[in-house]
Amino acid sequence: MGVKMEAVKAENLTVTYRGYVALSDVTFSLEEGTTLLLLGPNGAGKTTLLKTIAGIHREYAGRVLVFGKEPWRARENISYVPQSHTLNESVPLTALEVVAMGALYRSGFLHRKIPEEIEEKGTRALEFVGLPGIQDKLFRNLSGGQKQRVLLARALISEPKLLLLDEPLSALDPSARAEVTGVLRKIKEKRGLTMIITTHDINPLLEIGDRVMLINRRMVAFGRPDEALKDEIIKAVYGPMARAIKVEDKLYCITGDFHVFKRGGGR
Amino acid sequence: MIPDFLLRALVASVTISTLLGLLSPLINVKGLAFLTHAIFHALLFGAVLGMILGLLLNNLSLVMLTAALVTVSIVVVIAELEHLGFSPDSSVGIVASFVAGLTVLGFGILYKVMEGRPYYPLGENIVSYLTGELFLVSLRNLETLSIAGFLILLFLLVFYRDFLYVSFDPEGVESYGGNTRAYLLVLYVIVGATGSLIVQSVGLVTLQVIAILPGAIAMMITENLRKVVLASLGITLTVQVVSIGVAYYTAIPPSGIATVLLGVIYGFLLARR
Repeated sequence: MGVKMEAVKAENLTVTYRGYVALSDVTFSLEEGTTLLLLGPNGAGKTTLLKTIAGIHREYAGRVLVFGKEPWRARENISYVPQSHTLNESVPLTALEVVAMGALYRSGFLHRKIPEEIEEKGTRALEFVGLPGIQDKLFRNLSGGQKQRVLLARALISEPKLLLLDEPLSALDPSARAEVTGVLRKIKEKRGLTMIITTHDINPLLEIGDRVMLINRRMVAFGRPDEALKDEIIKAVYGPMARAIKVEDKLYCITGDFHVFKRGGGR
Repeated sequence: MIPDFLLRALVASVTISTLLGLLSPLINVKGLAFLTHAIFHALLFGAVLGMILGLLLNNLSLVMLTAALVTVSIVVVIAELEHLGFSPDSSVGIVASFVAGLTVLGFGILYKVMEGRPYYPLGENIVSYLTGELFLVSLRNLETLSIAGFLILLFLLVFYRDFLYVSFDPEGVESYGGNTRAYLLVLYVIVGATGSLIVQSVGLVTLQVIAILPGAIAMMITENLRKVVLASLGITLTVQVVSIGVAYYTAIPPSGIATVLLGVIYGFLLARR
């Protein structure tokens, strides 16, 4: 069996945001093909960590490497999917135009027209995420689940090795969550990409998560789900009212306003 | 037979409409209405500064050049403030307030300078920056308008898709390797340069209206991007030509007529909703 490459490596990573420390002393490494679920309360630094790995945020001390390079030098290997509510939907772009974005900026500065080759790739990416035939529909007129899948198609069109997803399930109803989770599972199984996913609700994602990291302005835990999701760790992140309970061999993490749930004692 | 001044006004209107018709949907989707407010202040300050220099140096062609340089510099400062993390409205608020203060000071100096020079051409009157003097467009103005307008149009067309993407998801553009900062800077400079180029023809007050309303109206009529751009172009051109025609027969400034017409169309569509 071949040795897997280190996809992401962070050493004593301390990230500052407009002068204040958003995240301190994070050290971890992630093997190629692994899926990491990043958990923590609001303001814990999940998005900041994701943007730093994506090379969008560069104000940090310590070291972070993506496939052995500094993040902004490894951009051709990274696709970042932002939280959908950060998008300006008043811009009347079609689904295909949104997907094409992921490939256009890999080359050149001007993009007056979408090349035919990128249109074909975009159509295939939309088919992969289960949205054939919606190329010409306006992005803003799609449902929440469809929008998230279009963003996944945009992330896939550039054939990245690392996929960074910021709250891909937030503000989705249960059926849309299932659709998006299904696509993420398909990406893991068929493309074998390394993924880092921030989430408030770990329940639907535990099946695809190989590693879990809990953060709250610092790294509190990192490891396999059964190692990281422990009662004392959950309390350290979410406060004294939070706890992990086991019912019929299933672990539930009660964190106050939402639940973190793990099946069968983990991997 | 069409009088020369009317013909020049119509040709100028076509250039103005093409630039603003294309720019207006971008101003709407990117939320740059505040920026046009800052441009209002920047242009007025630039014009006042240009008039002081022009009167002192006996070269009133400096007015337009100074106004353009001041405006472009100010929009670059705003773009940089946004890049540093200030919100668009804070950036505009900070800069516009400061520039407004400078304009008041500038007027004080201008009046002193004007006392020694009682005569200067009407076309360079500072009031023309506020109301616009489309009928006073000279052949030389028209040449400048056409050449500079063509260059701005070229930049606008070449970068149009990128401007849309940066408006839609700046972080996405950044993460896929695009230079969001450079695109925004180019867009802001285009908006500033367009304002400087056409301000004397349409006036500061109308400039704000024509920069915003055609795009807003087009986006109420259709959702398709191509149709939005075409509708915005059509609305701007129609309103400009109609206002010139009405102004010719009524002696009311065309900029005022254009403002009222656009306001009525927008209000009508809003009421129908």
